[in-house]
Amino acid sequence: MSNNRVTRRQFLNYTLTGVGGFMAAGMLMPMVRFAIDPALQTKAEGDFVQTSTKIADITEEPVKVDFSFEQVDAWYKSEVTDAAWVYKSGDIIVALSPVCKHLGCTVNWNSDQAHPNQFFCACHGGRYEKNGKNIPGTPPTGPLDEYEVSEKDGFLLLGKKIANTLV
Amino acid sequence: MIFSVKDVQQFQTQKDFIDTAIIPLLSINFDDSSIKQSSSAAEFMMSLTNFIEQQFKGRLMVMPPFSYTEETKKGLDINAIKDELHRGGFKHVLFITSDHSWTSLSNQIDIIWLPAIPLESMDKSVKKSVLDEQLKQVIPVLSSKWSQV
Repeated sequence: MSNNRVTRRQFLNYTLTGVGGFMAAGMLMPMVRFAIDPALQTKAEGDFVQTSTKIADITEEPVKVDFSFEQVDAWYKSEVTDAAWVYKSGDIIVALSPVCKHLGCTVNWNSDQAHPNQFFCACHGGRYEKNGKNIPGTPPTGPLDEYEVSEKDGFLLLGKKIANTLV
Repeated sequence: MIFSVKDVQQFQTQKDFIDTAIIPLLSINFDDSSIKQSSSAAEFMMSLTNFIEQQFKGRLMVMPPFSYTEETKKGLDINAIKDELHRGGFKHVLFITSDHSWTSLSNQIDIIWLPAIPLESMDKSVKKSVLDEQLKQVIPVLSSKWSQV
């Protein structure tokens, strides 16, 4: 027997505090978890979409890259296919949105014989330079949008649409 | 443009630029022998018109499809539809269909007839290339219309 014996009162105090503490923690932990939950959410895939185009295959000549992603509209999920005009400018890869800034038609590269090496919109004859800059005197009022570009395992990833940074 | 409030409002302010209406004509058949073929043709036509809309959003408006059965077809007066669209401010009115019988009216109205291709069995990339090919059939019709001024 040791000298400082634990009395019955002390023993009950300790055990009640211990058990009570666990019970309180059991109640509070989920609440705290709920409260800080939004901060712990991981962003879905970092908003980048994988394409089937290899970085190494991209040249100075713009090519159309199709990509698709799932779009959720309330409870309705749909697969959306979008496209980008992708080319290499020096070491930088540029991905331009094909949506005309006039009324939203799809522009094509080099499709107008009279104006080669330009993006051309068949709807109202809008034209853009290779970097997306709209050519004055044609209907568009601004340069083509750009996509954020990234790379994974040698494949091209496209991100959010941003305002043109090249012009 | 499609026939939605947002696009229609834009049409009202941009009538100079959005001058073409495309109206799909869909034949609906409920006979046991034709219902599948009829749905396949409708699916093809809707996919194609959606694709045309995406490509030429800023110049044309794809109207909701006009659907008819064998019985109700006689009551569909497409000349009247055409005139009403002209009055509504569309300079060019084009009908698109995979029902061959409409081609007999091709001297009165502009009609694009394309045979229906069953898309339902194709995977996504084949479907896309088929629609690309079909769009190439439509582009010359549109550009000849648009170059008439």
